[in-house]
Formats: sequence, structure tokens, C-alpha cells
Amino acid sequence: MAFPLVSLVFAIGVMLFGVAQPAAAVLRVVASTPDVADMTRQIGGDRVEVVTLAAGSQDPHKVPMKPSFVTKLNRADALVVNGLGLEHAFLPPLLEVASNPKILPTGPGYIDASVLIQPLEIPTSQNRSQGELHPLGSPHFNLDPVRGKQMAKAIADGLARVDPEGAADYRSGLERFNGVLDAKIAEWAQLAAPLRGVKAVSYHQDLVYLADRYGFGMVDTIETKPGVPATPSHLEALIDTMKRERVQLVIREIAYEMPLAQTVAARTGAQVATISSMAGGLPGTTGYIDSVEANLKALVAALHAAASE
Amino acid sequence: MRFPNQMNGRARRVLRCMVKFLAAAAILGVASRATATKSDDELAHVKAELEKTQSELGATREQLDATRAALEKLADKVDRIESGSTTTASIAPSAPRIAPVNADNPAISFVVDTAFSTGNLDPGYNFSLQSGELFISAPIDPFLRGYASLNGSSDEGFGLEEAALVTTSLPWNLTVKGGRFMSDVGRMPHWHNEQLPFVNRPESIERMFGGETISEGAEVTWLAPIDHYVRVTAGLYNAIGAENSEELLDDGFEGRRSFNELTWLVHPSTYFDLSDTVNLEVGGTWFTVNSDSTRNLFGADVTLRHQPGTSGLYQGLVVGSEWYWNSERFDEIEVGVDADTGEPLFGTQRFERNGGYAYAEAFLGRQYSVGVRGDYAENIAGPSGRQRTLSAFATWLPSEFQRLRLQGDAIAQDGIEGGDGYQITLQWTGFLGSHAHGFSAR
Repeated sequence: MAFPLVSLVFAIGVMLFGVAQPAAAVLRVVASTPDVADMTRQIGGDRVEVVTLAAGSQDPHKVPMKPSFVTKLNRADALVVNGLGLEHAFLPPLLEVASNPKILPTGPGYIDASVLIQPLEIPTSQNRSQGELHPLGSPHFNLDPVRGKQMAKAIADGLARVDPEGAADYRSGLERFNGVLDAKIAEWAQLAAPLRGVKAVSYHQDLVYLADRYGFGMVDTIETKPGVPATPSHLEALIDTMKRERVQLVIREIAYEMPLAQTVAARTGAQVATISSMAGGLPGTTGYIDSVEANLKALVAALHAAASE
Repeated sequence: MRFPNQMNGRARRVLRCMVKFLAAAAILGVASRATATKSDDELAHVKAELEKTQSELGATREQLDATRAALEKLADKVDRIESGSTTTASIAPSAPRIAPVNADNPAISFVVDTAFSTGNLDPGYNFSLQSGELFISAPIDPFLRGYASLNGSSDEGFGLEEAALVTTSLPWNLTVKGGRFMSDVGRMPHWHNEQLPFVNRPESIERMFGGETISEGAEVTWLAPIDHYVRVTAGLYNAIGAENSEELLDDGFEGRRSFNELTWLVHPSTYFDLSDTVNLEVGGTWFTVNSDSTRNLFGADVTLRHQPGTSGLYQGLVVGSEWYWNSERFDEIEVGVDADTGEPLFGTQRFERNGGYAYAEAFLGRQYSVGVRGDYAENIAGPSGRQRTLSAFATWLPSEFQRLRLQGDAIAQDGIEGGDGYQITLQWTGFLGSHAHGFSAR
């Protein structure tokens, strides 16, 4: 009985070994999100081969744990994460079965893009009655391009640590990336100038860094608490607050449903702006820089629409 | 950006040294042209001046490097200040750094899984604690982690369900687990009750394994070092299945077996991304007790998932099925009745039985799912007691850590008078603490 089964397993193994292709790149990198994936590609160039786990349109808290992710993690030389707990729902269980100690958080190949970030919204108490809080502070700093530079610096430092021979390449890759990003940051300061002083609500509590950068105020969220869906009583209170505070924007992250955002906007005279909390989520965007730009353009367009009504 | 005064001084020193170097070079040039007319003393003087200037140049270069490093540090600091919040101060004040008293404690979670049910096969109404489960886990050292679950319920009292050690850094993609744990059979047999997508374990799995596949033994898991996902588990256990172990203990079994009486298991599984949003997972299970072929169990499990990652009403579908074939020899089992005395006769008999289930669950929005399940179950010994169950279930997640589920079962039992009936169950589950679904319960 045992022999045929063992033979079958062996045959499958031989077949799969036979079709496996050796990688040409120096460094196999797994990136948890599209943002850090794009930065790693820009900085690492030909020295890295990057695969991404989460897709831009997904809710980063609900990324499915596909077995194919396990093999990618198993074979990785480095793992680049956004950090501050953004990946808590899917990455720790995957790492537990990936059999690759070097990319564990304590391992040499673990590159945390948040290490230079000064976190905001650090909870003063840890209690789920306040929703699903991130104990280390909000992990959505990728939405702010200036903090994006710090992410890129942390990634370049991490790549140089994992692959010291490529340190000069990573340094020049970082300079190239920063050169493009700096020019865009100056451009975006003009683009986003109308947002200063505007009041907004978002679906999820994830815009503190973006609002901090461009000077708009976050009044409340459609979710009752972080990660807790809206209740009717919360929505009634939210609509009253929005009318009182003259909120102009309802910012809906693309991973969250549109109809409720539209209902709230319709009852308050605000406009819905759809953004993506990760790169590549909005149609026509692929990389970090065009995603930041698409988000800002969506916000400004919605604001103009609100002003014209 | 303005440089501080200290750096202006460094820059001045750099310039001064460069001028000296150029002057020395000019002097040297003049000296070289006038060698024939200058005395040896003058030549020695110029050489000494050159060495001194070169030495100063070296020192200046070092200063320049230090200045460049300081400049980079300051630029980093400027970036940090520029990108920092203008509204919130998050930098901790300088204070003694004292480790929290709970720093070395393991992650702890507790699940409360309670239900209210009614039906005509078991008439009346019943509140029950399906599971009150304490789960703790932590790394033990750089090579090992440990976990344990203690479970209490209305039906089974309170007990240690799992207590296991798992390696974390073995070479060749190997992981070894030892202790008491759910052996790696199929897909759902090793899931904890609260992880199931239904209010109860399928009857086929319940009868085949006696509930969860609790076992005492050791397992080795190998992840193939290739781009395609292939995972194989091999295990050796006293026995597989909760009731199997309990029956053995009840019968006075003292826990010593010959090597041939231990249970061997092999469970390969693989996975295919059929498209960006559709994937298929396939597994096979075989376990055996070699001694006189006491038990041979074969199983197959298939799971198809559609995970579009959209924010619309429809957010995905899971279709899954498991089927098991069991051939088992039972000793001291009632095989008939003595015609003369009417007393039961006991002997040895082998039973070939099978069973399994299939289900589909659709996810609607972020909070809801609905599904149906069909199950076919036979007893693994004695009369087959065939039972077919058709179930419909709906789940609502008020938050990520709270769940309400309503399930209706239509039950048909062969060979039992009045064996057809229904059951309705409302399940209410809450997750306390650091609860996170592991990879195996994805």
C-alpha cells in the first residue's frame, strides 16, 4: 500500500524539480506590499528580483495567505516589509511555515521600511473596545511621499546590509529614486495646496500621515472604530458631525465598499474621493510615485467638485 | 540649508591646506628646474616642506571625510525633522529603560464558542459551551517554539488538548513537531472547532476520527525547495483521533505498543494558482497501523478558492471537499448472538467504511458569508448507521473578533425508525487576546 503513494510523491517531486528555473538575479527579495516592492526595484535595479505578496487594491489587513507565498518566502534572501504591524494579519503565519530563519524579524534578511519613521497615532491604551489598534502607531505612512523617502532610505540600507557588495549600487539607486521623488514632492506641494484646511472623513483610520503632510483635517471615520464596521447609530452621529463641521471630502480607500461612502456623502453634501492605501490600487497606476500622484489628484478633483456644487 | 559655524571652520582649514599644497607644488616645480644651480641644503629644505605639506593634506583629507559624514548625518536629521509630525510629539522622553514585567510571557488568547440549538431528533432546547479554549504560544529559544491549548466544553469537560514543541530553524526545509497535537490529516480534521466554517464538525469527520485528530507522537514536515508549493508531512503516533485514544485509555491501555502497533502517516499537499484570483489546493492522506494491517485510511481533499480582492458585494467563494476510506480491524467486537444462550458473541471483524463532505461558502461584503454543506457519514465499526446531512449556514462578523452563525441541518439516517429530522443551531463566538488564525486554518 505504501509503495505506490511514496512513488507518486517522489515522481511529483522529480517533475517539479525538473521544471524549476534558476534565478538570474543576485538577490531574491519578497516584498510584502506593492509600495516597498516598487521602491526595492527602483533602488536595487538589476541586483534584485522582487516578488510582491499583497495587491494594491486589497485591504492590507485581509491579504489571503496563499501557499504560493510560502514557497516565495522560503526561497527569499531578503524580505522587505512596510512595518509597524501593517502585515500582522498575514505575514507572521506565513513566516511560521516558510522554513527560512534568515527572513524572520530577528534574521539578517528582514528589512523593515518603518525603522526611520516617527510613528503617529500610537495608542495610549491597548484595548479592543477601541477597535483594532496598531500598538506601534499607524502603519500607513507610505501615503506620505516625504516619509516615502525615509522608507526608501531604510530599504537601501537594508539591501546594503544583506548584500554588502552591492552597497554602492543601492546608494546610487536611492539617489536616483530620491531625485525623481524630490522633484515630484515639490510639484505635489503645488497640486495639493487647495487641500490645506479642508475637513474630511475617511472610511478607515489610515490617513494621519497624508493629512499631516498636506494640512487637511480628519474629522472621523465611516468605520465605528478601526476595523469595526459602521453601525446605524454611528452613521447618524457621523452625518451630524460632518454637517456641523462642514466636511467637504469623504475619502474612500479602494478596498472598502463604495455605496456606503456615497450614501454618507449624499446626505452631507460632501464629495467622495477614491484613493488607494497601497501602490497600484487605482486604475492606471503601478508604482509608488504614480500612485501617490493619483491619490492626490483624486482628492483635489473631489474637492473641486465639492466647491462647484 | 545653512551649515553650522563649526563646519565653516572645517571648510576654511580645507582651503588653507589646499593653498599650501599648491604653493609647495609650485616651489617643487621651480626647484626641479633649478636643480643644477641650487645647493643640496636648499633641495633638502624643499623636500621637507613637501613632506610636511603632504602630511597636512592627508590630515585634511581625513577631516574632509569626517566633515562629509557629519554632513550626511545632519542631512538625515533634517529629513527626519521635515517629515516628522507638526501635530504630535511621539519621541519618548529620556528615562530609565525598564523591561515590562510581562516581557517574557507567551502570547495568550482565549476563545468563547457558545451555541443554542434545537431539533426534533434530540427534542428540546439546549445551551452549550462548544469550546472555551485557552491558547498560549511563544518561542522557547532560537531553535524551538512551543504552544498549548487547554479546552473546556459542555460535552467533554476540561482538558489539555494540545501541548507541542516545534522546531524553527532546521536545515533542508524540515520542521519537526512533537508532543500532543492535531496530527496533519487532510484539511479540516486538524482544525480547532472554532476555526471551522460551520457550527459543528461534519458528521463524517466526527465518526472517522472521533472529532479532532488529537494524537501523541512526532511529525516531520518538508517544504520542497522549489517555486511550486509542495509540502509533505510524515508522522508517527500512538494513535490518531480523539476517541481512539480515549477508548484505549478507558480500556486500561497502558500506553506501550510494539513498533508495529504505532500509527504511520503521510500527507502530501500541493497548490496551483489557476489565475490571479482562482487557486486550487489538493492533498492526500494515508495512515496505517502496520500490525496485521489493523487500520488503513486513505483520504483526499480538494479546495478551490476564488479571491477577487474586490470591495463589491461579492468578495469570494470557497468550494471544498474531503473524502475518507477507512479499513479497520476490530478485536473483541460483537459479531453475533449465541443461538442457544442469547448471549452476544465477540470476535475479530474488519470493517470497510467511508465518508466525507463537500461545501461551498460565498463571502458577501466584509461582514457576511452564506454557504451550504452536504455530508455522508458511516460508523467505522458495527452497523453502518448511514447518515446524510444537508446544511445551510450564514455567518455575520460584527467585528473581526466576534462571530454569529446560524445553521440549519436536514438529517436522514438509514435503519433508524424516525431517523429523519432537523436541527437548528445559533453559534456565538468571541476571540480574546492575541488570536490569529494560523496558516493551516487559512
